[in-house]
Formats: sequence, C-alpha cells, structure tokens
Amino acid sequence: MSTRPTERPDVSPDGDRSGVMTPLEERRAEFKRYKEDVKERGKPFYPFAMFHDTVMSLVVVCVIVALACIWKFTAHESADSSGWLGPLYKDKADPGTTSFVPRPDWYFYFLFYLLRIFKWPESVLLGTVGIPTIALILLLAVPFIDTRRERRLTRRPVALVAAILVVLSMGVLTYKGATAQEAIASELKAKVPTWIKDQNLIANSKQVRGLPPGSNPQKLVVRGVTIFSQVGCLTCHTYLGSGSSNLGAPNLSAEGAKQKGVQFQINHLQCPACVNPGSPMPSFAALGNDNLLALATFLESSKGKQ
Amino acid sequence: MATRTRTPRQVRQEKAEIAVNYPLDWLEERSGLVGGVRYFLFRKVPSDTNWFHTLGSATLTAFLVQAATGVILAMYYKPDPNQAYESVQHITNDVTLGWLVRGMHKWGASVFIILMFLHMGRVFLFGAYKYPRELNWIVGVLLLACGMLEGFTGYLLPWDQTSYWATVVGININGTAPFVGSFLSQILRGGAEINGDTIARFYAIHMLLLPGAIFALIGLHLYLIVRLGVTSPPWSKEAAGRERPPEPPSNGRAGLIRPGPRRGISR
Repeated sequence: MSTRPTERPDVSPDGDRSGVMTPLEERRAEFKRYKEDVKERGKPFYPFAMFHDTVMSLVVVCVIVALACIWKFTAHESADSSGWLGPLYKDKADPGTTSFVPRPDWYFYFLFYLLRIFKWPESVLLGTVGIPTIALILLLAVPFIDTRRERRLTRRPVALVAAILVVLSMGVLTYKGATAQEAIASELKAKVPTWIKDQNLIANSKQVRGLPPGSNPQKLVVRGVTIFSQVGCLTCHTYLGSGSSNLGAPNLSAEGAKQKGVQFQINHLQCPACVNPGSPMPSFAALGNDNLLALATFLESSKGKQ
Repeated sequence: MATRTRTPRQVRQEKAEIAVNYPLDWLEERSGLVGGVRYFLFRKVPSDTNWFHTLGSATLTAFLVQAATGVILAMYYKPDPNQAYESVQHITNDVTLGWLVRGMHKWGASVFIILMFLHMGRVFLFGAYKYPRELNWIVGVLLLACGMLEGFTGYLLPWDQTSYWATVVGININGTAPFVGSFLSQILRGGAEINGDTIARFYAIHMLLLPGAIFALIGLHLYLIVRLGVTSPPWSKEAAGRERPPEPPSNGRAGLIRPGPRRGISR
C-alpha cells in the first residue's frame, strides 16, 4: 500500500499529516510536486521549447549583424565620420595628451556617474568600491534574503519595489552618465577672471618663493591660470567647483597652501610618476619650461577661497 | 516468426538502419554521450514555458557569437601599443568582411550585456532563484560579473583615446579599494603605468581567462538547469508544483468511491 510516507529522514515519523510543515519541508514538498507535474504534464524540450529558443537565437544573431551593418554603412569613408552608432574608430591612444574625454562603454555609465556623485577624496571610496561591492553582495545574496516560496509578483511587494527601484536608479544613472557634459576649454577660460579675483592670485603670487630672478610673478600667474584652464587639467582635477573628479584626482583649489614650492610643481608636472610613484597623471613636459614655470606659480598662488 | 515474414526490402532497410546508426551506437557504447544528448533534448519541461524562457538561450547565443567573432579577430589583432590601433584599422578596412566581424564583436558585446540583464530580470520576476535553484542564481551573478569584466578588458584593446583613458579611470577605480587597491592596479597595469604590458595583460584576460571561466560557468549553469528544471510562470494556472487541493486521508481503502493514489509511487 502506498501511504505517501515521507521520504525525508528529518521529518518526524509520527506521521502528523495535518500538522504544520516547516518551511524547508514545504519547499521540498513543492519541488517534489514540481518534478511530478513536469513528468506527468510537461512537454518535451525538443521540439517545443527548442523551437522558441531557436527563433529567439536567430533574432539575436540578426540584431547583432544589423547593428554591425548600421554602424559600418552610416559611418563609411572617412575614419572619423560619425554614423548613427558612432565612428568606426577614434584617435589613437596618446598617453601624453592633455585634453581627452574619458568615457567607458555605455553599460558602465552608471558606475561612471557614481564617481561624479561621490567627490574626491572624502566619499569617493563609496562610489568606486563601496556601492558596487555592496550591490554585488546583495545580488549574490538575493536567494538567501528572500526564502519564501511565494513566486507571484503581486504577493512579493518588497521584491517588486526593490526591482523597480533598482531598474529606475540604474536607468537614471546610465542616462545621467550618457548626457554628462565634460567641461570644455572655452567655458573654463571664461572663469579665469573669477578665479583670479576669488583666489586673490595677484597678491598671492608676490609671496611665491623660488621664482627665477627677474621674473614678474603677476604676469606669470595670469599666464599660468590661462594655461591651466586650457590644457585639460580640469578633466581630472577640480578647481573652485569646476572640472571633474572622474579620475579621482585631487582638488587643486588650495594646492599652494601646501607650500611645496615652485620647483616641486615643475618637477611634478614634468614627470608626475617620478615625484609621486604610481601616479596616473600624464606628463606635461611638452608645455615647455616657461609655461611650466607659469603653471607652477599659479598653483603655488592658489591658497583656497578666502 | 517475424523474421520469416520480412520482405527483402525490409531486410535491406534494417541493414541500412544498422549501418547508419553504427557510428552513434559506437559512440554511445564508449561514452554514453548519445544518451546524454537524448536526455537533454527529450527531457520534459513545464507545459507553460513561454517566450520569456528564451532569454537564457538568447544570452548563450550572444556569447557564442562573441566567441566565434573573437577567435577571428584574434587572428588579425596585435596586442602591442605600436600595432594595436593599426591592426584594428587593418581589420576594419582591408580584411575581407573584417568590418562585419569587428562590428559584430563590438555590438554583440552590448547585446550580450543587455540579454544578461534581461535574463536576470526574468529570473527575478519569476522568483526562479528560490529553492532549490539558489546556486544557479549565484552562478548567474558570477557570469554577469565575468561578462562585465569582459567588457572592461575588451574596451582597452582598440587602443584609441577613449579606450585608453577609460581604462585609466577603470584602473584608478580599482586603485581606491582599501588595502588591496594599489596592489590590484599594479597587477592590472603590469607596472607603474599603462603600456605594452597592460595591453598584453588585458588581451590575455579578455580572451583566455574570462572566456574560460564563462564557458565553465555556463556548463555548470546548464547542468543545474537540466537537473532542477525551469520554473513555470508564477501566474500560470498550470504551473508545475502548485499547491493541490487537499487529498483525502490515505488510511481509507482505495476502491470504488475514493480513487487510488493519484501518482504512481513506483517511480
């Protein structure tokens, strides 16, 4: 006689059939029912499910081929002519460049934008490592956080709200990352007079020591601030709220307050990694000694907004 | 008996069948693979699976496209800072259909990532990560992480301005990690700065380490799917594993009025 005895050793053998099952027993019983139902009423994978899979896979391959064709045929001829899906290739990598726009592939825009929310250096760790790590751990832990058997979405309000919030925030971050404008040189140059005034650069420059004899600190600092606005320092650094902290480079508003000296600044600009091992900052030696002296004077004069 | 009634035509047919089946039988006898494939193909799935359930195999297809186009690209690509950019131009402009292969690889990456997220969304909304499929969810998340890392390492390889500086950002992001940060970015760069070592390193990770890991994880993922089965849509009236109306007490005699045990226990 088959009396549906439990096959599990951990179920009490006193056969309390009407009694309450533990959650684990319930889940096991459900999976047993699932296996039975599939065996009785299921359909064979081939050809039924496989037909759907094959159609969908063909669609995927066609979409990929179509994207490649659109990309190629709307951007043909000259290398940098941008088609509907962007140019075929951009300029060759140049580690010595001074103006560039670091931009990841679109599916990293959400991370990219997190870096703009959390500013260097106080909270940047949250944006770079903190939030992504927490998100990954939460994602891995989903089956252990939500252990109920219920699968209908209407009865899983927390999961539903969490899913909507995640999709929304990823969408917003990706959109913001996609539309984030890098500061362009002409906009920054317009800020030069404000910086000179706010930072009191002219007065500060007279106190800068270590300038070569006979040099005019006032001229140097004005030239320095102009170069600073144009050669791309602010693609990585921030200065009085301008620029971007994408690369995690420090705020330079009060660089001069550290009193490192003109010679240090010149050495650093010529070879950042020599002075500061591991620094990813590119060399600005190509600007020439005069320009570097002007930049160094400007940096040493920047003592922070008073 | 039956042998006597067979016509010569039937005999010929049988012989032909044996000859055709011989390689399969040979393989089956030595490996059991034919039985495995047959089990895979003819296993039962819930009757109410639908188009949502194709997202996983679509993701697999996208990955296979990446693998196939990646192999072809590897035949022409040169992981060297002085030649990488030129070799990508060569592939795009000179190699027959090179633009197509490169375009498929470039855009296939986006399709792959999108499909991974859609598939994950489907599994989440269906509650398909629940008992006993927790492990398969974890394998899936690892696959997602590997896929994103493929995107990160592959982005440097064209060696253009955007890819170079995006990689600087990416490595700096790793560099901010507590304790291991500087160590990690040193390893990724292969030194103090991004140069030829970095590009070779990213290339090896991109086409050896990560694809190997992804293939292995996909194997595990599929094994677990076949072993545990796919879930029915939660809204389905036919959903496999649904609660059944309470069965009558089992201590009564099976007979005229009460039907016998509903399901064969003989399994």
